[in-house]
Amino acid sequence: MMAGFEPQIIAFCCNWCTYAAADLAGTSRMHYPPNVRIVRVMCSGMVDPIYVLKAFEGGVDGILVAGCHLTDCHYIDGPVKCDETVNKLREVLHVLGLEDKRLRREMVAASEGVLFAQVINEMVEDLKKLGPSPFKAKTEALA
Amino acid sequence: MEEIRTGVYICHCGLTIAGVVNVEELTEYAESLPNVVVSREYRYMCSDPGQDLIKKDIKELGLNRVVVASCSPRMHEPTFRKTVEDGGLNPYLYEHANIREHCSWVHDDKELATKKSKDLVRAAVKRVFHHESLVTREIPLNPNVLVIGGGIAGMQAALDIADGHNKVYLVERDPSIGGHMAQLDRTFPTLDCSECILTPKMGDVGHHPFIELLTYSEVEEVSGSIGDFKVKVRKKARHIDESKCIGCNLCEEKCPWKTDSEFEAGMAKRKAVYIPFAQAIPNIAVVDADLCAYIQSDGKKCGACIKLCDAGAITPETLLKQTDEIVELEVGTIIVATGYDQFDPSVIPQYGYKKYDNVLTGLEFERITCAAGPTEGKIVTKDGRPVESIGIVHCVGSRDENYHEYCSRVCCMYGLKYAHLSKEMANADVYEFYIDMRCFGEGYEEFYKRLSEEGVNFVRGKVARITDEAQTDEEQGKLIVVSEDTLLGKMIRVPVDMVILCSALEARSDAENVGKVFNINRRADGFFLERHVKLDPVATPTDGVYIAGCCEAPRDIPDTVAQAEAAAGKALSLISKGTVTLEAAISTVDEAICHGCGRCEEICAFSAPNVVTKNGTLVSSVNEALCKGCGSCAVVCPTGAIAIKHFTQDEILAQVSALTEA
Amino acid sequence: MNLEDIIQKTKPYYCLECGKCTSICPVSRYDPGFTPRGMIENALLGFDDEVVLNRKLFSCLTCYTCQPECPSDVDFPVFVREARGLAQDNGQSGVCAHSGQLQSLARLMTNPDIKQNRLEWLSGEHRVSDDSDVLLWVGCAPYFEPIFRDVEFSALGVIKSTLKTMNSLGVEPRLLPNERCCGHDALWTGDFETFRKLAEHNAAQIREAGVKKIVFSCPEGYRTFKMDYPAHVKLDCEVQHFSEFVAERIGKNGLKLKETKKKVTYQDPCRLGRHLGVYDAPRKVLESIPGIELVEMRHAGPDSICCGTSAFTNCDSHSNLLRSERLKEAAATGAETLITACPKCQTHFRCATTDRGEERRSTPRLEIMDLANLVANATGE
Repeated sequence: MMAGFEPQIIAFCCNWCTYAAADLAGTSRMHYPPNVRIVRVMCSGMVDPIYVLKAFEGGVDGILVAGCHLTDCHYIDGPVKCDETVNKLREVLHVLGLEDKRLRREMVAASEGVLFAQVINEMVEDLKKLGPSPFKAKTEALA
Repeated sequence: MEEIRTGVYICHCGLTIAGVVNVEELTEYAESLPNVVVSREYRYMCSDPGQDLIKKDIKELGLNRVVVASCSPRMHEPTFRKTVEDGGLNPYLYEHANIREHCSWVHDDKELATKKSKDLVRAAVKRVFHHESLVTREIPLNPNVLVIGGGIAGMQAALDIADGHNKVYLVERDPSIGGHMAQLDRTFPTLDCSECILTPKMGDVGHHPFIELLTYSEVEEVSGSIGDFKVKVRKKARHIDESKCIGCNLCEEKCPWKTDSEFEAGMAKRKAVYIPFAQAIPNIAVVDADLCAYIQSDGKKCGACIKLCDAGAITPETLLKQTDEIVELEVGTIIVATGYDQFDPSVIPQYGYKKYDNVLTGLEFERITCAAGPTEGKIVTKDGRPVESIGIVHCVGSRDENYHEYCSRVCCMYGLKYAHLSKEMANADVYEFYIDMRCFGEGYEEFYKRLSEEGVNFVRGKVARITDEAQTDEEQGKLIVVSEDTLLGKMIRVPVDMVILCSALEARSDAENVGKVFNINRRADGFFLERHVKLDPVATPTDGVYIAGCCEAPRDIPDTVAQAEAAAGKALSLISKGTVTLEAAISTVDEAICHGCGRCEEICAFSAPNVVTKNGTLVSSVNEALCKGCGSCAVVCPTGAIAIKHFTQDEILAQVSALTEA
Repeated sequence: MNLEDIIQKTKPYYCLECGKCTSICPVSRYDPGFTPRGMIENALLGFDDEVVLNRKLFSCLTCYTCQPECPSDVDFPVFVREARGLAQDNGQSGVCAHSGQLQSLARLMTNPDIKQNRLEWLSGEHRVSDDSDVLLWVGCAPYFEPIFRDVEFSALGVIKSTLKTMNSLGVEPRLLPNERCCGHDALWTGDFETFRKLAEHNAAQIREAGVKKIVFSCPEGYRTFKMDYPAHVKLDCEVQHFSEFVAERIGKNGLKLKETKKKVTYQDPCRLGRHLGVYDAPRKVLESIPGIELVEMRHAGPDSICCGTSAFTNCDSHSNLLRSERLKEAAATGAETLITACPKCQTHFRCATTDRGEERRSTPRLEIMDLANLVANATGE
């Protein structure tokens, strides 16, 4: 583990639930570490494996894919589709030797600002323990 | 390709952003980004002068892309899209960076918050580079409305819409409209007679020039989308000539074949040919083909009704030849008000329902107190004895993890109503077994207070069992309600003549199928799921399909009516606009790439993509009125033929790679 | 580098504009917008953008149908490959199938620090040896496994069958735990940087392992090691396709194949056939299995037609037509099974046969399997 290592996280959040939860964390002034950057998608089921792979190619240390709970989906069953994508992706990333905790899947409802902040806190902690992504060297080598 | 000229606008939001993020540094940084021709900061970008800055720059600097970094896009993206549009650009050539909710409000380290804001602005600038002009489309809306369910919710919604001179098709599964409310005797807390307030409404529905009533009918298939639904309704054979029946009821009087009356909750009999109840609308007979000996014997037996029907409404033809009819309707909006089923308490064996004659459900007791009911309004036991004491058991099947976790909302109040009626009509001793009294509506708490004063015995405790095994002489021949009185902290045994189980309201047993027909989801408790529990309570995820009444959750009559009027209001606002605006950010197929493999068709929850043959090859074709832009089709598309407008791979990947640059 | 340099390097200026390439090109047959002659013409006339920025540049299957027929010996596939390098630099990378995941995985594999879990599928029934000087190339199979489950294809199944067959021939090969993608697709789509890095990683590991021979079940890996690696990395070992490995042991080494009653036809993979000239070995293997009746398609051997997609780019409606026509040709032989010797062919054919909507399909539902699967089944006890 690197001293003072600050993990970089990209979070793909669905517009209706988790993006709103992150908004709620904001309006409630809940503080969480500034390591996360949110990319808004309409539905967690819209997250294509390539978004995650490209983010890892770019050298991020962890990725969160988060959206509505199973029963809250604006599009009926997006979370189920998202689970399928993430599970398949996990298998691929496992072969690549990537630690499981670098890809996190959560369901965070619009009302769960606290949960959103908690997930980010946990991720930052987990990733600090894991250290930089094994794909980081490539970005640095290319830079 | 046109040169991309982007303007970036950083909002201070007073001090809520500027107090944490170094907005000057951020603005300077934004100007250094590729394709950015101007970057400005302003105290309140959403104010008129703030918006004017953008409009002016679009004109004077020839901007063709705009980024505003401010609060959440869920707050002001629509505002700035409008600004950009007013400035002469397509509203989709705009991108929003959230540096308030996602940055200045959650971080306090100024340096890191400024760095994060730079990342978010850079991602927005790189994303907006790929944005394309999109056009929202308007399609005409068919003003006709389909209402499913002829209970109080469906009737109210139908009347509201029809009173505005819009055509309503009201489809009811049973032979008459009226629903559960028609079976009720009196309504809490006012104790006005249910029939007295309901039947005029039923009459209005029956005679309304803008309502076409389809009773004894069920919707089989719905296709199309908001503004343009095509509906197939199965009109079941009544085996009578509807146009001739005058509702004289002679046929029913003479018909020799009997079964339990559904309307009387099984407490009285009806015939094979019958009118469900005296005030039925339409007031015409229906033949129960399974019970009718003439039909079952193929015309060899009975035939009494044919001989008696002077109107000529029942003939060998109608009995033997009449078949179900499929009616096709075209409507623009649909309101589903299919109501609830009463929980069957026989699944709780310790309560002895169906085992002991005098353990009744609420609906059965409603019929007992009703003057037109099987006991002509006398509260008596099954064998006709007067009732001296009554136990009323709350939460039967509700607030119970073994059955339904939810509160059925109406039981406390109807339990109190029964207590009052038992006192008033039979001068009985009343024991009300409750967990909590939930009396939340208008006049409800007052009613509870009144009942307390009337001398009802309130016992706080969930009833353990109901038995006829007497332990004392006093208990002989009685039903004994065994419970703990939790306020006294001791077990009690209360001998009574009759027990009423306040049975839960539960989702219709066929709710799953109905949900599939109308593309409505259900919650874990089986009821239909609204689009948003607080802010969109009568809409469903399917545009143009609304829900009202107990099909969405248990509720009382005032709430049901309010919801029905809300659903009618939704339909009416669409009708008064006359068109439907289609989402612009939806999926689009590159037909040169598409194989027509059908994976998109398979995954879509809205049946938007369909594989069709074009120029001899199979390609996916997206119904723009059905597509919601959720993007699942693009994920499963193996070739990259499907893209979601405004959420294309290029757009999202530009954002992702910009975020990994720093 | 600009297109001029590529022209100098690949010499398309000998082109007579006879159009034979276009008339014989399997893509042009279905996609009138794709013409090798036209592309060369545009390049020679200096319309670089027309060539380089056009996504059709990525439609070429680099199947080598055209080059042997060209009267001027213009190596169109190599011209395309080099032009793609330029296209990549200018932001054109064609339409990546599977949203570009496979391209991304190849790039991720260039990273020196990764520790892959690529051999978790090995079980007690497989015999491998770290002392062996024969390497079995596993390649991308562990990645294909989850990605192509949707088309009911098991790439690891092919590897397992290859290993089982090698074991039954008394060979316990070595497997490398941190092998990378061979870089074939990166090379052919013009991502030369990724290709070079992958080649270097692989060469270093193979050198370190002291391997003398590499056996491939994937013709793309085989082609890449045999024809492309030598220009970039130093490797001194024999390379062989599975079919060749088995073919030279038929009748020797006690390879006993049990009777398998099946009428089959055989798809020559472009890389194995036209690129490397291996036509006989797979047929010899097929014929050595008792009970197998091999019936050839109308286009077989050097005339064979590609499965329709290369390097997971531009898998478009025309590729699909090409693919279904090929499947119809296979079905027309009366064979019940289509045997391929390339995991990519199988992926693409299975994709077409697992299309949704049974009632509207015109693609024959043939059984498709790899030669290795067939042989391994025949070696079974």
